[in-house]
Formats: sequence, C-alpha cells, structure tokens
Amino acid sequence: MLSITDLTVSYGPVEALNGVTISVPRGEITAVIGANGAGKSTLMRTLAGLVTPTAGQATLDGEVITRKSPEDIVRMGVALVPEGRSTIPELTVEENLRLGGLWRAKSDRRAAQAEVFDLFPVLAERQRMRADTLSGGERQQLAIGRALMSNPKCLLLDEPSLGLAPLIVTQILHLVRRLADETRIAVLLVEQNAVTALRMADTGVVLNLGRIVQTGPASEIASDEKLRHAYLGY
Amino acid sequence: MTSFIDYLIGGVSNGAVIALMAIALVLIWRATRVVNFAQVGQAMFTTFVALTVQTVTGSWVLALAVAMVAGAILGVIVQFLVLRPMRRADTSGAIIATFGVLIALQAAVGMIWGGDAQAYPQPFDNAGIVAFGRIWPISVYDLVVIGVTILLVVALSLLFTRTSIGLAMRASAFNPEVARLSGVRVSRVLTFGWALAGVVGAVAGVLVAPSSTVSPTTFDILLVFAFTAAVIGGLDSLVGAVALGVFAGLVISLVSGLSNSGNAPVVALILLALSLITKPDGVFGHHKARAV
Repeated sequence: MLSITDLTVSYGPVEALNGVTISVPRGEITAVIGANGAGKSTLMRTLAGLVTPTAGQATLDGEVITRKSPEDIVRMGVALVPEGRSTIPELTVEENLRLGGLWRAKSDRRAAQAEVFDLFPVLAERQRMRADTLSGGERQQLAIGRALMSNPKCLLLDEPSLGLAPLIVTQILHLVRRLADETRIAVLLVEQNAVTALRMADTGVVLNLGRIVQTGPASEIASDEKLRHAYLGY
Repeated sequence: MTSFIDYLIGGVSNGAVIALMAIALVLIWRATRVVNFAQVGQAMFTTFVALTVQTVTGSWVLALAVAMVAGAILGVIVQFLVLRPMRRADTSGAIIATFGVLIALQAAVGMIWGGDAQAYPQPFDNAGIVAFGRIWPISVYDLVVIGVTILLVVALSLLFTRTSIGLAMRASAFNPEVARLSGVRVSRVLTFGWALAGVVGAVAGVLVAPSSTVSPTTFDILLVFAFTAAVIGGLDSLVGAVALGVFAGLVISLVSGLSNSGNAPVVALILLALSLITKPDGVFGHHKARAV
C-alpha cells in the first residue's frame, strides 16, 4: 500500500501541494481529479522523486520513498508513467520496454516482457518498430508497459487520457483495471477527465489548488453534483 | 588524374583520425549538449603519456593501451571539472569551461614534457607500399590506422546497439528524465560516456602522432577539422561523424596536394559556414523538433 501523509511541496513562495494525505491500497485504483493547476502532476512527480517535498512523506508498505532519487524509487517498487506519452521515439518498442527493466536480471526482464505482451498484444506485434511509428494509444500502452517492466507494487499514471480519443481512453483504462484486479498492483491515477477516471476507479480524491477537498468512493464523488460544479467544471 | 586519385587514397588515414576525434566530440555532445573543446588537449596529454611509455618500453601496442586507459581517466576528471560545478548553469558555461581545461592541459604538458615539438617514433613502415609496378600513396602504417579506426567504430556500434550500457547511453541522451524514471543511473552513464570519448580521442592522438610531431599545441588543427566534421555530420550522429571525418580527410589531402597545406583549414571553415547556412541540422542530424 502507498501511503501519502501530509505531503507539502512549494516552488519558491508558491505552495503546489498543501498537506495532502492519500492511501492507495493494493488491487485498487485511486483517482485524483481536479482542474489544471490543482497540483496533480506535482503530486506524481514528487512521488517519483523528481520533486523534493518541503514537508510530509510517502511510504510504500512502510518504507519511506520520499526524498530518494527516481532511480531508487523505481527499484523500491513505484513506477511513474509521466504525462504525455513518455516513450523514447528514437528507440524501438522492444528497446523502450527493455529500458524499463534494464537494472533487473535478464530472466526477470524476460518474464516481465512476456507479461506486458500478454496485457498489450499490439506491442508484441510491433516490437521491432520505432516508437514514433506507433499511434497515440499504442504509445500510451508502451509507456505503461515500460513502467510495468520494473515489476512495480504501485503504478503512478499521470493523465493517460491526454490527447487520446475517448474510445482509446476507455480501452486503456479497462486494461489498467484488469491489471489492478489481476496483479494486485496499487494504481494512483491522475486525471483531468473526471468522468472516465471515476467510472474506472475505486476511490476518488478531489484536489483543488494543492489541497484535498474531498475523498470518498468514486461513485459517490461522481454523483455529487455540488462537487462537480465547484471543482470539476461539468 | 593519377595524382588526384593518389591524393584521395592518401587522405583516407588522415580522415580516419579526424573521424575518431569527431566521434569523441559527438559522444559528449549527444549525452550532455556540451562541445568538449578540451578533447584535443586530452588527446595531446595522453599522446605524451604514450610517448613516454613507448620511449621506456619500446612497445607501440603497450603505449596505445596505456594512452587509452589514461584517456578514460582524464575524461572522467574533465567531466568532474567542467560539468559538476556547472550543473545548474546553462551548458554554454560548460562549453567555455572546456576551453579553460584545454589551455590548462596545454600548460600542464608544457611543464611536464616541455614546450618543444618532439618526434613520435614511427611504429610501422611509413613508406608507400610498392605493388603492381608502382608506389602507392599509402603505407603499412596508414593501413594500421584505418584498421584500428574500423575496429573501434564497429566496437562502438556494437556497444550502442547490443549492450545494456549502450541502450542506457542512448536513452539518457534522448530523454534523461524517462531514463531516470526507468531506473537508469543517468549521471553514472554520462560519466561512462566521458570516459569512452576520452578513450576514442586518445586512440586518435596516438594514431596521428607519428605523421606530425607532438607539442602542446600540435593537435589544435585537428580540433578544427574534427569539429567541422562533427557539425556538418549533425553533431548527434555517429554515422555523420565517421562519414564527414573521412570526407574531411579527403578534402584536406586534395587541397593540400593541389594548392598548399596552409589552405586546408580555410577550406574546412568555408565548408562549415556553407553547411550551417544550408543545412543547420547537419547532413545526418536528427530533426530538432521531436514528436512527443
């Protein structure tokens, strides 16, 4: 389980996150939703080690992950798929995946790759092709696949729907749901597209200007009309 | 016509050395966006180390090997000197710093080995090969230079395409953030890159030394040619560095042969200017705007 406690991040005088506390249990999807500038990406980048928090901490199964380097955090079992299709276009599909597990033993890497191909069969078909020849949806699958190559206990997904057609988004989130159910991985999903995210998630967290305004079962948050109007803009 | 072809043949081994030096520049540019002008200073330093080893032991191979090791160590030292303090600054600061390192290395060599030009002993036969009833403008030593270069280029391309460290180096160059998020220890990979460039530059220095002399500033002209080749080749392309390096060698040989050798750097700079005007990304360069 990923536990985030009182996490605060400041960029100079600007507080991007203020006392954020979230629990992400294994086998569940926790969706953090909120408008642009709510601090969603900052939360993800802090958990992955790219940003250092000013206060608070995060633990994975009791082990502190905050204030460690991104390289060490991946090895501890937390993998981030950053915003905007984080594949390397100059590398082939197979190389992008291999990159994700480069630090692991060859046999573990092979096994992980087989699992990724099982989840995303289209990547197996295209393994020799350069990543920039893939469609947007395929590239997002590759980005998630790369993160899964590290055999994470917790997967952080930053705006996977960005720039994708609604049908593709639904497909990808269904695969994430399957992943959470089958492998008992903890998924923290950050989305601007609240409707789709809440439909797939177990728990919803509404973030506004760096603070949590509401936490609850995803279905309840989705049906709370006041919340929707005030923070989600629909 | 015969002399034209002779000049071309004679330019290949010179081109091979330029290609190696261009590769060293490209390796560091790709990884850190720094043009390492100290590279020729490092090569000059390691060539003096090789000269000492060769004078003492008489073994050219041992001298080359020691120079390669020294090149790796010196590459790491230069990275620490140049890049670590400049970490957060703009890379143009680091590029200026490489000039400082070049001057410091030249001064250090002058203090250790003296400022005079010294002859580097000829390890193999340097006379033109006699075959098919004529003397060819290429010697056994030239063939050794070309052979060692081909070997090194093949080894590098295998390193980049077939090994884990090669994949880590490419990923770190293309997108360091994604590489780190994948668990690649990017700063160590970069240090390895500086060491590798140091090795390649050291080989270039030892190979070119017998055909001129060695002094603290002998290799400065090599920097002009290698930099020109690397930029026209696209700065981030190893294929471009090799192709344009060899091409530069041929052009220099032709210009030197048909007019005089003092004109070669001028021609190189004219080609550089023309290339920057017509093809700023280089012949083999990747396009600046990458799809995300």
